[in-house]
Amino acid sequence: MEGSMTSPPQPASGALDLPTLEVEGELDLAVAPWLRDQLDALYVGGADSIVVDLSAATFLDSTALGVLVSALNRSRARDGQVHLIVHEPQILRVLTITGLEDQFALHKDRVELQRKKGEL
Amino acid sequence: MAQGDLIEGVVRTSEREVIEISIPGSVDLVVLARFTAAIIGARAGFDLDEIDDLRLAVDELSVSFGPLDAETRLRYTFIRSGDTVSVRCTREPSDEAGDGGAGHSERDLIDWQQARELSAQLLDELVTTHGREIANGRSVAWLTKERGTGAG
Repeated sequence: MEGSMTSPPQPASGALDLPTLEVEGELDLAVAPWLRDQLDALYVGGADSIVVDLSAATFLDSTALGVLVSALNRSRARDGQVHLIVHEPQILRVLTITGLEDQFALHKDRVELQRKKGEL
Repeated sequence: MAQGDLIEGVVRTSEREVIEISIPGSVDLVVLARFTAAIIGARAGFDLDEIDDLRLAVDELSVSFGPLDAETRLRYTFIRSGDTVSVRCTREPSDEAGDGGAGHSERDLIDWQQARELSAQLLDELVTTHGREIANGRSVAWLTKERGTGAG
């Protein structure tokens, strides 16, 4: 599977204090079912908000994006949010084209996410 | 050996090129179509952003067919004509045996209606034209992308 090796879901990472999944490589149809399984696992403990760290992801197609949207709907149903850490221009472009950049909480890195959380 | 034109580091040896690939209906092989798209985009003189857009667009052509399975093949025809790339992706029946198809997990775990809607939004923006049709009884998804035009 091309560049789609991922780490297992990370538990609350230090000060982030939110269930976090780190993914890397190309997120396409071949990876989307796995992504959905991993995101499902983040909600098992009753989480309302989650973090998906896409810092090392290089490609996002409509099937993988759809999985993220499903997670977003799930979080919103619990008054939560899906935080995406992303700085890859092509992935940001996908979010912009589909009008989803304002729906997810986007952060360029974990430091920014932590800072924003501190401001809330 | 034909004299080629050097355009942004890529030698184009003719004005028209055709590349055809045919893959089993297996989701982990669609990467081959993206790889081919990147090469032919470069040969058309696309910049890096345009190449990225073409890669994604070709991937989305595959998504437009929904779940893949072992009974189908995807045949991609890439045509570069000057600085325009056209891609046709045809879903064909396959007489190959095996379990290479995506089948169960993709079929059950992907919201295909949602994926198609997102895919259509992406294609509208990524390429110059795109569409779907039935040709010779087979489903075809196609696109064209011109260098230096469109959203790229």
